[in-house]
Amino acid sequence: MIGQPEFVENPENRCPVILLVDTSSSMSGAPMDALNSGLEAFKEAVIQDEQAALRVDVAIVSFGPVELVQDFVTIDQFMPLHLEAHGLTPMGEAISFALDLLENRKVAYRDNGIQYYRPWVFMITDGAPNPDSPWQQAAERLKNAEAQRKLSFFAVGVQGADMTILNQISPPERPPLMLNGLDFRSMFLWLSDSMVRVSSSTVGGDMVALPPVGWGQIAT
Amino acid sequence: MVWSAIVHSAIGTRHQQKQLPCQDYGSYILQSDTIIGAIADGAGSAKHADIGAQLAVKTALATLSQWSDPWSAVEGHVMADEAQSLFTDLLQVVVAALEIEAETSEYQLQELGCTLLSFIATPNWLACMQIGDGFIVTQGEQMDTFELLFEPSKGEFINETVFVTSASALEYMQVAVRTQPYPFVCAATDGLEKVAIRFQDWQPFAPFFNPFLQCLRSVPDAADRQAYLETFLASERLNARTDDDKTLLLCLYGQEAEE
Repeated sequence: MIGQPEFVENPENRCPVILLVDTSSSMSGAPMDALNSGLEAFKEAVIQDEQAALRVDVAIVSFGPVELVQDFVTIDQFMPLHLEAHGLTPMGEAISFALDLLENRKVAYRDNGIQYYRPWVFMITDGAPNPDSPWQQAAERLKNAEAQRKLSFFAVGVQGADMTILNQISPPERPPLMLNGLDFRSMFLWLSDSMVRVSSSTVGGDMVALPPVGWGQIAT
Repeated sequence: MVWSAIVHSAIGTRHQQKQLPCQDYGSYILQSDTIIGAIADGAGSAKHADIGAQLAVKTALATLSQWSDPWSAVEGHVMADEAQSLFTDLLQVVVAALEIEAETSEYQLQELGCTLLSFIATPNWLACMQIGDGFIVTQGEQMDTFELLFEPSKGEFINETVFVTSASALEYMQVAVRTQPYPFVCAATDGLEKVAIRFQDWQPFAPFFNPFLQCLRSVPDAADRQAYLETFLASERLNARTDDDKTLLLCLYGQEAEE
């Protein structure tokens, strides 16, 4: 009698996403509350999908001051935190920080034999970079990373956001979106649906069709 | 001494749910003391990937078996020198066949996209090529460890790979020749990568391969050997770990198993 083949235990594939959240003081009050409940909805939605809960690897960088408020963690371990708004809008510094964070994460993946999907950087802002913020340099880095298909960058403007600058930061094929009111919930549910689709894709999966965006408008 | 082989493709649960066909294909041809094998995994994004995978495998086998009969008449060191150009020519023939199919059926060539892994194994040498992901694992004579011939040619990200229809297919084609006897050869599509290969150091997981080796060595009836493979590929145990199509082609050169 011949036994059955045994399986090697490999770590789950990871689908990294960095939420780059503007927590400057103009976000305080209703916007911040809506964003915080949106984050909770995001977790609740992703965790419904058993596989995505183990694969979607989320980190949160806030910028009032640039701060890593949540280092990378898979959704099954993710405890949505309560973000608070204060400070200015160091957008350029925050983007650079996120790009470095991502590179370090990739090194950790590779060292541990973890395979991964193309990362997402998802920025939410209601303002414009500080006058002294090196956002042009950050935009240049983003552009290069996009051109080398190292990541996908998404920018979402909340009422008051400088869409002209967001347009300059965003890749031409993915213009920034203006959030409908404070409908963060729909935005995060869309993000969850997208992450579930990406994290279940295999070969040829860079053709993954994203769900339609019902929560925002392309700013023209 | 003879080559015994088993091959089977099983549909993944994801394709089943979406009522898509199995987009993998694998087959082999025996040529006196030589075995020629090929497997292909149709691109998930390609509409007629199932047709592409079948055509790529059948074309590769027919072409390789025509180019020399028997291959064992060729010396290992000659093969080592010639393999790169041989498989380059093979790729051209395969792509030409896909182009003709695309034209007659009015498909885009990319709609027939698939990976391709093929090999020629004689009693004295082994020559292999790989485009895209999937793996070829072998075991040399008198050896008790398994060897992964190529790391999968993926892009940086897990959901990116190269197909025979890619403009860069030739650039990413990997070729290897071993000029010693390699009596065990296994080729598989990427649906089995994560249960059979340890990603951290790209080592084949011996407890995955040993039972197949034992099956080929000691199960006398060909139908029983085939049933062992098919049962495994359809098992819930496996499908709980991978939802992709999967193909396994296993070959062993040895004494015929006795009743």
